[in-house]
Amino acid sequence: MIRRILQLLSPGQIKRSFLLGTKSLWMHRLRSLLTALGIVFGVASVIAMLAIGEGASFEAQEQIRQLGSQNVIVESVLPTDSANDEADQSRGIEYGLKYRDLRQIQNTIPEVRLTVPAKKQQSSVWHGAWNVECEIMGTVPEFFDTRGLKLRRGRLFSPLEMEDRRNVAVIDEGTARKLFPLEDPIGSSLRVGADYFRVVGILEQVGGGNAGKEGEQNADLGRLLVPLSAFLERFGEINVKRRVGSVTTEKVEIHEFTAMVRDVEKVVPTANAIRRVLAMNREEGEYRITVPVELLKQAEKTRRIFNTVLGSIAAISLLVGGIGIMNIMLATVTERTREIGIRRALGARQGDIVFQFLVETVLLSGAGGVLGVALGLIVPAVVGHFTGMQTLIQLWAPTLAFSISLAVGILFGIYPAMRAARMNPVEALRHE
Amino acid sequence: MPKPIIELEDVWRTYEMGGEEVHALAGIDLRIDEGEYVSIMGPSGCGKSTLLNVLGCLDQPTAGNYRLAGEEISELDDDTLSLFRGRRIGFIFQSYNLIQQLSVLENIEVPLFYQGVPEADCRARAVELAEQVGLTERMDHRPNELSGGQQQRVAIARALANEPVVIFADEATGNLDSKSGDEILAIFEDLHQRGRTLVFVTHDEAMAERTTRTIRLKDGVVRVDTASGLGSGDEEGAAL
Repeated sequence: MIRRILQLLSPGQIKRSFLLGTKSLWMHRLRSLLTALGIVFGVASVIAMLAIGEGASFEAQEQIRQLGSQNVIVESVLPTDSANDEADQSRGIEYGLKYRDLRQIQNTIPEVRLTVPAKKQQSSVWHGAWNVECEIMGTVPEFFDTRGLKLRRGRLFSPLEMEDRRNVAVIDEGTARKLFPLEDPIGSSLRVGADYFRVVGILEQVGGGNAGKEGEQNADLGRLLVPLSAFLERFGEINVKRRVGSVTTEKVEIHEFTAMVRDVEKVVPTANAIRRVLAMNREEGEYRITVPVELLKQAEKTRRIFNTVLGSIAAISLLVGGIGIMNIMLATVTERTREIGIRRALGARQGDIVFQFLVETVLLSGAGGVLGVALGLIVPAVVGHFTGMQTLIQLWAPTLAFSISLAVGILFGIYPAMRAARMNPVEALRHE
Repeated sequence: MPKPIIELEDVWRTYEMGGEEVHALAGIDLRIDEGEYVSIMGPSGCGKSTLLNVLGCLDQPTAGNYRLAGEEISELDDDTLSLFRGRRIGFIFQSYNLIQQLSVLENIEVPLFYQGVPEADCRARAVELAEQVGLTERMDHRPNELSGGQQQRVAIARALANEPVVIFADEATGNLDSKSGDEILAIFEDLHQRGRTLVFVTHDEAMAERTTRTIRLKDGVVRVDTASGLGSGDEEGAAL
């Protein structure tokens, strides 16, 4: 039908039909605006919701990706029963992962290419009068590679420095900026407790740190990475925490380790193997396994559900908008019965009338679509500005929303247009 | 031998009304030649509107043959009928029937538009026609800014746009005061002088007298035809 109509019309006529349609809609400006509003809000909400949803999932996925898709990360966790036990508060607690576990995993699971241990401690880091609360991590140079950390400037610590237990440190950019606002951090020294470390490298800032891992809220902490050997030498095996009325000492051999799997495809089975090994050796609440790939899959699933829900809401709002348009177009057709009769008498074919009214609905919904896209681009920016939420507008979202608005125009315009065209010219002319 | 424009042979138009058949046209034979200036008269309900609709290709006869400019139109499909209306016929209505959202020129362009005439040609032709009916000063006005007589002149210009073979006018002066009515009639007469074929329906005897031929209808049949040979008062039995 549409093809037949288009065949009948020359490009010049199509252009004039659009001009004519604009004129007719302009005659009833308020009505046209109100009719298009349904589409405007439908389209805007599609784009805005998608932008917010995509932004949130992008952020989550980015954080997970930073953990490394080939990795299985195992952390020591203070067992909850001993943490809550008041009697244990002033005693020493020993828990967590041991080098034995690391060796066993490395030796029994062939898929594990590499295990990278790390020890952690939270402490203030000083340079002159400036200080930053940091998570100090003692580790090996391989850590940077497995966790995808990139150097902005300087270098990593060398195997020789590892062996010599040198006091060298790699810090993140934010910490560098806070501690060394006036001088070049590289080669400068910073102080942790009574020990001085020389800065050799600065890491590229990665947004959000390791917030992808559940329960951790150290996004604001700076990062200071030192050779594991030096960490052991300066800070020892035992962490001492002083609180009001109690002193807690913790002995943890390894705070966390990263097992890098040879084949990305085998991360999940390997993670399960690691789970089995640890289940044999350690108490249940002593450790926590994070598998970024699993998280990523979960995030992807969440995103899909989210998009489906959004899509349905959007579809409903556009449907309502379309019905609004159809309603008004039916009224318009009745109102303009006489005009239709006149046009038919003057030589308009049914196809011409269908085309004329279809052009009007498409103009209406298209204009609504354009306004909706504009609004849909503004809203996420405003929401992002006031809530700090990350929003992400992908090109396909406005494109899709706009195309749908046009499709709605055609879909809901067809019936009123056909009704207009099928009118008997004699009766249409007689219509008051 | 003048060329026949309209040839009706035993044309019937029957409506179904409450289960009963009503014959609005009950066997009409009629021939109108090129250049004729014809008025159709008759009491209301006599079938003149139906006749005009059939002649104007807005409606099709239930039975009988209708040839317009030599082509049989009783069997044509809707699109072809539209084409005939657009190319061969000009309409002038009692209530002008201009499209309100369009200017004078745009109204005149409507029939040209549906025949796919390029925009520039449309405009040139519309301007020429507007000048011809004396609306040079009003070309960009909207119909509601014009007087009745002026609106009817726009309608005449519009009817002439596609160089139709025949122009039908339905009570064209019915809504006008006598002065404007006379102006419109003067235009009709002028068109007649130039050889156009005009058919108009009217109540007004005085107007009918100014045409060259008058056809009187009653109960769906031609009772009187001032032209010799076609139709007469002796078909009393034809109407049921």
